Amino acid sequence: MKTLSFSFMALMLSTTIAQAACYADYKAKQDDPLRLHYGVTEVRGDCSVRSAESQLRDRLANDGWQLLNVLGVFDDAGLDERKDSAGEFFLRY
Amino acid sequence: MSSSSATEAREIGNRIVVAGIAAIVLILAIAAVLLFINLPDANAFNMRVERLFVENDNLTSNAEIKLLEILAGSGTAFSDTLASYRFVIFVLLIFATALLVAAVAFLVMLIALNRRMGRIERQGIEVNSLTISRDQKAVYLNDFEFKLTDAAIETLSVLAEARMDDEVLTGAEIEGVISGRNAADCDEAAGATRIKRLRDTLGNQMMSELLVKNIARKGYVLAIDKDVIRMI
Repeated sequence: MKTLSFSFMALMLSTTIAQAACYADYKAKQDDPLRLHYGVTEVRGDCSVRSAESQLRDRLANDGWQLLNVLGVFDDAGLDERKDSAGEFFLRY
Repeated sequence: MSSSSATEAREIGNRIVVAGIAAIVLILAIAAVLLFINLPDANAFNMRVERLFVENDNLTSNAEIKLLEILAGSGTAFSDTLASYRFVIFVLLIFATALLVAAVAFLVMLIALNRRMGRIERQGIEVNSLTISRDQKAVYLNDFEFKLTDAAIETLSVLAEARMDDEVLTGAEIEGVISGRNAADCDEAAGATRIKRLRDTLGNQMMSELLVKNIARKGYVLAIDKDVIRMI
């Protein structure tokens, strides 16, 4: 039993290491008055637009933001060029 | 026959008035509803800006987003203005409804008055009030005062009471009521004489009031418009 859980943890660890870091950029809004923002977030698990959407929606909703769309996913290489645009929302959610 | 058709006409007229006023209110209510539906809602500008933001992937820099927010803000301010306009227009619509309803009511009143004037002109005189004053021995027809004899007052009172009960009296019955005897014992001619005397006293005075006016210390004059006199 113990060996089984240990091996499972090892497996999980190996998959996260094996995966390159995954980021997504998105657009979100707040109503009354209308506020918009462009942000970059880190995606855990499956590196796809769909999983980024499902993760972001809840995280943004906690602060009263509504996700509009996810533009795409990218790895570390694309991080720097988006840093300026995202501003205070760079990796905030 | 003529009275029944007259009431019928009045009923039809009333129905037309009600229908006309209802139509006005309905039309303006529909206009108000269309007004409220068609004016853009307060969120229209925000939605437009939001779509712009979503559809253009390169609108991501901070300055551009701030500009979009300002755009949306000014749009919202403008929509507030629109809302106040809408209210003003709605108030004007209510005024228009009231004025149109009043106009229709006045139009109908005017038509009714015209008809009544025409009837009065044809009849010559229309009795709007008849007041019998026993102690002054006078009867007031509209604004005319006629002095009557005791007997004539008596006859007129009997006729007025009978009229109020919707009764028609024969000469014998009139004589019976006035003299206090049984109608069967009275002569028909006696009653007819009473009617004739009443007609004479009333009729002569009425004619003198309507036609021949007596101006004190000056003489008599025809109290009618010059234009209506015709010589054949």
